[in-house]
Amino acid sequence: MITKPRFALLAGAIFIALAIVYGALSHDWGGVTMLFALGIAMALMAYVLVAGSPRGDEQ
Amino acid sequence: MTASADVLVPADRGETLGELVHIAEEHSKGGISNPVLGMILFIASEVMFFAGLFAAYFSLRSNAPVWPPTGNPEFDLRAHIALPAVLTLMLITSSVTCQIGIWAIRRGDRKAFLRATAVTLVLGVIFLVGQVWDYTQLEFGITDTAFGSTFYTLTGFHGAHVLGGAVMLSVVLYRGLAGQFSARHHDAVEATSLYWHFVDVVWIALFSTLYLL
Repeated sequence: MITKPRFALLAGAIFIALAIVYGALSHDWGGVTMLFALGIAMALMAYVLVAGSPRGDEQ
Repeated sequence: MTASADVLVPADRGETLGELVHIAEEHSKGGISNPVLGMILFIASEVMFFAGLFAAYFSLRSNAPVWPPTGNPEFDLRAHIALPAVLTLMLITSSVTCQIGIWAIRRGDRKAFLRATAVTLVLGVIFLVGQVWDYTQLEFGITDTAFGSTFYTLTGFHGAHVLGGAVMLSVVLYRGLAGQFSARHHDAVEATSLYWHFVDVVWIALFSTLYLL
């Protein structure tokens, strides 16, 4: 189980990797921007879920 | 996030005030404070908001045969880069002073915190005034092709966010002057600083995209 807040970055990294692949294949820079930003937003949300839970490190 | 039903319904369980404080402290261990939690979630939604605007800009730009569109030499924003560059430096400096304020209040130095917050607010207001001045100097409007629409939409929404941040900083400064923050209790300051840093990062992306890319 993920308990360290820094692992939340993985949630964002998945979408950023997806953005890179999508950009290389489609050259649709609007879509790349949305996927990249989704990665940042997901990393923030995952951080909140992991670090925001009371005594998250002990679970 | 840290509040619990136990704390919200004390009458049902009959705890004393001291016990409630103890429960609240126990629940706060390892968690994020409510203001900071709310701000992080808000920033996550704002990231997607600006992503939509940036995506529209990149989509229009990549589909245009020439960018910036020909016909109006004013579309060449590099010719007007001096003022926005100075404003960028001011906004970055304001992020630094904002963080200095955070470090000050964390160690309980209220005087340094108030000074740094005031400087941050002044720099933010100067940025806004500078942006309005920059608008008056540009010889194209929001209806002048997709370039004008995207330029004013992106910079205008960012300016609105800076204005919102300036209002937050004003409230923080007012509360700070009233002595409401200390080394232990300054969640609103932390939340406001997160927002200010976010606004700063968005401007760096905007400036790079519109003026340098």
